[in-house]
Amino acid sequence: MDVMKAIMVAATGLRAQSSRMRVISENIANAHSTGVTPGGDPFQRKISTFRKEFDDELNANVVVAGRILKDQSAFELKYDPSHPAANAEGYIKLSNVNELIEMADMREAQRSYEANLNVITSSRTMISKTIDILKG
Amino acid sequence: MIGNLKIFSLLKTRMQWHQSNQAVIAENIAHANTPDYKARQLSEPDFEAILLRERQNGYGPSTLRRTNDAHLQVSLEQVDIGQAEEVADWEVTPSGNSVVLEEQMMKLAENQLNYQTVTSLYAKSLKLMKIAVGN
Repeated sequence: MDVMKAIMVAATGLRAQSSRMRVISENIANAHSTGVTPGGDPFQRKISTFRKEFDDELNANVVVAGRILKDQSAFELKYDPSHPAANAEGYIKLSNVNELIEMADMREAQRSYEANLNVITSSRTMISKTIDILKG
Repeated sequence: MIGNLKIFSLLKTRMQWHQSNQAVIAENIAHANTPDYKARQLSEPDFEAILLRERQNGYGPSTLRRTNDAHLQVSLEQVDIGQAEEVADWEVTPSGNSVVLEEQMMKLAENQLNYQTVTSLYAKSLKLMKIAVGN
């Protein structure tokens, strides 16, 4: 039944978006995590990836959360000689997480999650309408 | 027996089409953030082609042609309900994704509404049959 297929595909969408949400929350929680050893690297921003995968059993294209990559952009430096992670010149590296970007990403993930939930609600209504035929 | 009546087979095909359409829309929405994913849509059933085929071989679209009287009459369950095709992209994000979430939500609501129309038509037709058999 194709409506069940719709529900299964939407469920993969939900799973992918929630895994993305997890990565975003990790980024936000660690936005101010610095290194602990002198000259050590701070938290490096993580990026979740999605890809299309054909599910033979379902006969549909499902979405899967792929590998979690690391943001390669440079760390910002801040002069703080008393910090334990400060290098010989007295600078510490700050995490490359931009909270504004994370917030925007979070909104997008939330919106997509809601859209997938709507698909499930709509499909459920369709199934119950089909069953209602029996009530005649 | 009831499935042989034109109105019911018609409504059944329409219901199948809406169910397949639901699956296509669900795929589009699930892939709303997948890079390089192109939105797809299910083509409307080609009624002209069905009509032409019916006229040419004298049978309905869902029956096999019998070349010998000894052959059993078989009606095919599988009805051609169109293909999911990529839509000409009119809004593509830098990541190459062409799903417009708002548009898909509209289509989802429309599909659900039309499906409800068809199921209530089916129920109404069943009621008519019940009147005919005097119940």
